[in-house]
Amino acid sequence: MLLLGNEAIARAALEAGVSVATTYPGTPASEIGDALARVAKDAGIYFEYSTNEMVATEFAIGAATSGVRALVSMKHVGVNVAADALITFAYTGTRGGFVLVTADDPSCHSSQNEQDNRYYALLAGLPLLEPSNPQECYEMTKEAFELSERLELPVIVRTTTRVSHVRGPVIVGEIVKGRKKMEFVKDPSRFVTVPAVARERHLVLLEKLKEAEDLAEISKFNEMHWIGKTGKRGIIASSAGSNYAMDSAHSLDIEVDILKLGFSHPLPSKLVGDFLKSHDVVLVVEELEPILENAVRALAQRQLLKTRIIGKSDGALPRAHEFDQNIVEAAIRKAFGIKGESTNVPMIPGGLPGRPPVLCAGCPHGATYFAVNKAVGKKAIFASDIGCYTLGVAPPYRTADLLICMGSSVGTAGGLAMVNDVPVIAFIGDSTFFHAGIPGLINAVHHGHRFLLMILDNRTTAMTGHQPNPGSAVGPSCCDVTAVSIEDVVKGCGVKWLRVVDPYDIKMTTETVKEAVAQEGVSVIIARRECILLARKDKTGVTAKKPHIDQTICDKCRICVDKFQCPAISSVDKVQSIDETLCAGCGVCTQICPSKAIKEEK
Amino acid sequence: MPLEGHKGGEVMPDIYLVGVGGQGIVTASKIIGDAALLAGKNVLLSETHGMAQRGGSVVCTARIGDVHSPLIPAGKVDVILSFELLETVRAACNASKRTVVISSIERIVPLSVSSQKLKYPTLEEVRASVMRSAKDFVAIDAVKLAEGEGVKMSTNVVMVGALAGTGITGLQRDHFEKAIKMNIQSKQGENLAAFGKGFSETVRLQTPGNH
Repeated sequence: MLLLGNEAIARAALEAGVSVATTYPGTPASEIGDALARVAKDAGIYFEYSTNEMVATEFAIGAATSGVRALVSMKHVGVNVAADALITFAYTGTRGGFVLVTADDPSCHSSQNEQDNRYYALLAGLPLLEPSNPQECYEMTKEAFELSERLELPVIVRTTTRVSHVRGPVIVGEIVKGRKKMEFVKDPSRFVTVPAVARERHLVLLEKLKEAEDLAEISKFNEMHWIGKTGKRGIIASSAGSNYAMDSAHSLDIEVDILKLGFSHPLPSKLVGDFLKSHDVVLVVEELEPILENAVRALAQRQLLKTRIIGKSDGALPRAHEFDQNIVEAAIRKAFGIKGESTNVPMIPGGLPGRPPVLCAGCPHGATYFAVNKAVGKKAIFASDIGCYTLGVAPPYRTADLLICMGSSVGTAGGLAMVNDVPVIAFIGDSTFFHAGIPGLINAVHHGHRFLLMILDNRTTAMTGHQPNPGSAVGPSCCDVTAVSIEDVVKGCGVKWLRVVDPYDIKMTTETVKEAVAQEGVSVIIARRECILLARKDKTGVTAKKPHIDQTICDKCRICVDKFQCPAISSVDKVQSIDETLCAGCGVCTQICPSKAIKEEK
Repeated sequence: MPLEGHKGGEVMPDIYLVGVGGQGIVTASKIIGDAALLAGKNVLLSETHGMAQRGGSVVCTARIGDVHSPLIPAGKVDVILSFELLETVRAACNASKRTVVISSIERIVPLSVSSQKLKYPTLEEVRASVMRSAKDFVAIDAVKLAEGEGVKMSTNVVMVGALAGTGITGLQRDHFEKAIKMNIQSKQGENLAAFGKGFSETVRLQTPGNH
């Protein structure tokens, strides 16, 4: 069947008899959790969208150290959040198979950085599998559980956008039901990482890594591809890089030997050493960081090999952004001295109207931003966060001045407010607030920082595909959930000034923001309105009446296109109009038109 | 229309799908993928998920045949299947003398046209721009054809029909029809009819004298 790389991972986990699966949604990892959330009940597994990646990992550690199999999936930056747990978990090790899937995002298609999470395998000292297509996603995830139980170590499966979001044929097997109940066997000398235990367990981990290397030497995922008869030219490649290398070798019609490393950490030094010995020139093809390349160079030095090694350090391949076949072809030509010109990558012609992603028609965030701009003008500093609402960075709103990571709006707002004499407003979504906003809020209350925190509560995790969050009353198919009240959390953090507004009420929202920024200390506004995509789907919260612009009244002031941003309102040949199909019927535009030319139809 | 995309005797077309988030492009690519699989061919699709889907430009690729990477190398695109006229121009830089561009004439005016007072190109400007590099340009009124079948939302299926009608994919009509049933659960009859409308349209346009 045709499966997305992420779906293949979910399928493999079910066939491996996984009992517990957790995640925090994030592109390009989200579909792993979404697939498991749908089938959790029928498959008899426990699945949860955890509050954040740290909790997701800890929960799974609790289950796996008891003896069941557990899968945790997240996007690359999510591992930063989980890292505190992961790195020490490598010391205790696991009993049931524990697989952590990290989906990296070279070229930042939907991310704030393009960090290379293979470093986490090096940092924690964990086995690393790198699938390059959906079939390998399936096979490697299954194998990762076996490997994890054999070594009693968590195993990292690392994909990239071009692996997770590729759909291709996968041959699948039978789903196996995992055990739901286990008995945790106490062993404090292993599982309680006080210093005396930790020192010992680090030595155990290093021993296990040697065993892991032996397994990498014979792994079927480290395979040779002989293209023609060469023996002189070699390529060592992994993940998406190996796909481009294979396609390039065929399109250039050259003879080359490709060593594809799917089980790449610990590096199988005998296999790689033998490959180096039997080739004169070896090109290392890997996206992002020169991790394999550096390891291969170190190996060549240890074994006193004369093989010429080419990669990123000599500029044959770039260290930033994802590869494509043209980039790899050019590197192959350069490395092996193959004549001919590589095709230039086409440039999109200039002058075309751009089409960046935008807040949807009827998006409550757009209404909030319009009201905030009206209330505080341009003088305020806006600390933003991760979610759809980050799109407010673009004109006309420009409501994002600083964005670092999940939850950073709250923490950075405190520092901004301390050293600036203008109002500071932090924006955070409901899911992100639960994920990483709460410690920052407690810090602000405790230290008396002065800023306004606006929690943009659209009742869902919208950007990643509308997953539930702790504020939701409905969870994945397997399980009942309890909705956690944001008001209760905010009050519990010690906040004294809290208001809840409906962002569709522009006047009320504007007045409340004005009042909030005048407060001493931290003030909080919850701007609550369901995501318009959900509201349109279940036909709640939107009026059937769609507004139109009365051209006899419109004085062409352009506020509806210059200060407000709605995909349904366009201005062509100096005439503003509303597209009825795109219009969601939120009615916000009828409130913002100074001449009252925008009217709801009768 | 002669078959392009021959590599070593086998038909291995590379299809570049573009449009705007929300137009059903991922579903269209899945239909092409399943049709290829039903025909016993290898296929790889790349999809756009996440932030870009919020009304932004969306690109998917479908490569049929024995390839490893889902991304199409520069100069190798056989078909650009565009769901939106402005996106056709944006995608046209990927066209070469082997490329047939099939474009819906649907216009979704981006906010930049209003806010930056930019001009949305006319159909004739799009055609001229495309034909500077491409082999052929086929314009399809996909919205009208879909509405005629009572499935306004199914312009993506009309476009798949238009692709199938060219014969470039080397896949049979019934492979596509089975794939539509696999991927679309509601209004299957209407969707198959919409596919048929798209199919007939390219067949008609390719008949000498009609184009």
